[in-house]
Amino acid sequence: MIHVLRETHNTPAYVERALRLTGGTNRFGEPNFRAVWGWNRLTWIGGRWEDRDAAGNLVREVVELRQVPKYVPFDCWHIERWCPPELYGSPQDWYARTVECEAGRTIPALGPYPHRGEYEHCLTLAGVRGEFVQLTPTIAEHVARLIQASRVLTAPRRRQALDRRDARQERDFDALAYEVLDDAVPAFHGLPWIRVPSPRP
Amino acid sequence: MPAQNNANTVALQLEKVRDKVPLLYERDDVLLAMIQQRGDVEKVSSRNMRLPIQVNPGGKAGSYNVDGGDLGRGSGSSYDVAQVTPIFFRFAVEITKLVEYATNAREKAIENAAKREVANGLKQFRAFLDKLIQTAGNGVLGTINSISGTTFTMAVPSGAALVYVGQTIQVYDSTLTTNRGTANVTAADPISTSQTITVDAVPAGTVATDVIVHDGLTGAQPVSLFGVKYHQNNATTGTWLNLNRATYPVQLATPRVNAGNAALTPGNVRLALNKVRKSLGINQVGKLVAYTSVEQEHAWENLGITISQVIKEGGGGRSNDLDLLFTGQKTMSGVPIKSSINADQTRIDFLDLSHWGRAVMKDIDFFDVGGQTVFPIYGASGGLASAYIFYFDTGFQVFSDSPRSGAFLDALARPSGY
Repeated sequence: MIHVLRETHNTPAYVERALRLTGGTNRFGEPNFRAVWGWNRLTWIGGRWEDRDAAGNLVREVVELRQVPKYVPFDCWHIERWCPPELYGSPQDWYARTVECEAGRTIPALGPYPHRGEYEHCLTLAGVRGEFVQLTPTIAEHVARLIQASRVLTAPRRRQALDRRDARQERDFDALAYEVLDDAVPAFHGLPWIRVPSPRP
Repeated sequence: MPAQNNANTVALQLEKVRDKVPLLYERDDVLLAMIQQRGDVEKVSSRNMRLPIQVNPGGKAGSYNVDGGDLGRGSGSSYDVAQVTPIFFRFAVEITKLVEYATNAREKAIENAAKREVANGLKQFRAFLDKLIQTAGNGVLGTINSISGTTFTMAVPSGAALVYVGQTIQVYDSTLTTNRGTANVTAADPISTSQTITVDAVPAGTVATDVIVHDGLTGAQPVSLFGVKYHQNNATTGTWLNLNRATYPVQLATPRVNAGNAALTPGNVRLALNKVRKSLGINQVGKLVAYTSVEQEHAWENLGITISQVIKEGGGGRSNDLDLLFTGQKTMSGVPIKSSINADQTRIDFLDLSHWGRAVMKDIDFFDVGGQTVFPIYGASGGLASAYIFYFDTGFQVFSDSPRSGAFLDALARPSGY
């Protein structure tokens, strides 16, 4: 029997507990938030697969359902949030939107309907330059709290925040532009500047 | 000795800031800059830049009978050549003597006026080009839904987002055959749901369904900057970089997911990303960027599965310490989000910018004639007018060498309030 090896890690129990305590549980008693290792988190993808060799040349085409890692990069931790099945519409809607017809076969591109909901990607734990960050209870709790706090924000507040961000970018550019253009001109425009003290009364 | 004239003086002032122009032009918050930052900008002459692309793989794979069986014949890869021709764009800045006098404080007056106009002009020129890069390569900035007096109500998705007040536009019929004439935009409202543009005078013959294009285009089926909708397109007719799409209906088509005017869901995003993974490999989404509008970024935030910008801002507008433990980059199913006020409000493009580039014939700079960058304006009498003009210009075209290395999600509903 051939075993396909990949680096897998189970989520530490203390992280699971921290996320469960902070994020609570869903209607099925499962945690609202969870941490998963990239290589552990698989998902169904169906359709026509084009398998290529290392040089990118097409080796074969095959129509099938495959279980593959859901997120990239594979070798780091991802935080997920549970989404209820209603978010995905009815099973009829699901299959109407996701079934693809390939080589005379119909195949659900996202696999079967998520009757128990599905966990979706919140964020990837990585450093500012994409370096690996280990999962600790402190980080897990902090992330869950940020997401929870984010969820109670109203849509108008979210929109205002986006508008403020755009306005800030404009201001930043204006400031940069004047700074850069000022650099092209010598101080006091090359004129001598001598302070003349006013006479004392 | 003749008296020093104003135009010569201003030219000297512009020379001082000349080397700063590219620096300010390369602003990193818009799609144009994201493509520029790829690094391998191709310098081209007036001849077409040629992009050889492998359209079909070579070799014959299969099993064979090792007990004397025939191994069969082989085959080789087939290639075709895409071609890119730069388009020239200009941005004219005109300053009246009144502006100069209004800022006239000792010898620095001209510098101040020039500095302000250089900064503003570059910002506006970039914005114009970034708007063009959202389009399908024909210069169409919007479609007229209805006309009331001198006000056009524009069709979403582009709405009124791709024009600016003061811009000269042209009106074409919906088939881009008949140029009805030009107009100047006097007001534009891309924020409210009405999405209106007001012009100074409606060209004769303008009707609903007509389209507006930018100034400078001529003739039928004009060609402009090849934007996102040109390269990220699943059409099987027409041309792409001089190749016939019908000849390569699969190779040149970007995977598409039609949201059917429904709201954004994680399922739609996964469908689009999975199309890339199926065709290019399961780890190929690592290079993608989710390029979208602020509206769809908001829609994604409303799903509640990402950390919103409000949280990221923190109390003082800065990230807090714990945010430094991870990138804090807002993502869409793990793909970094880059939003723009100019992007199509009903669409998300998953772009692999390592396949995008620019063919540049002339970098951004002042338009220069024999060393002169500022030119006088002449009045109706033939005498000098009390104003002068300078231009920024650049000549380039945007290309992608692999239209299949991406995906797009379109026909998305806009969130309420937009």
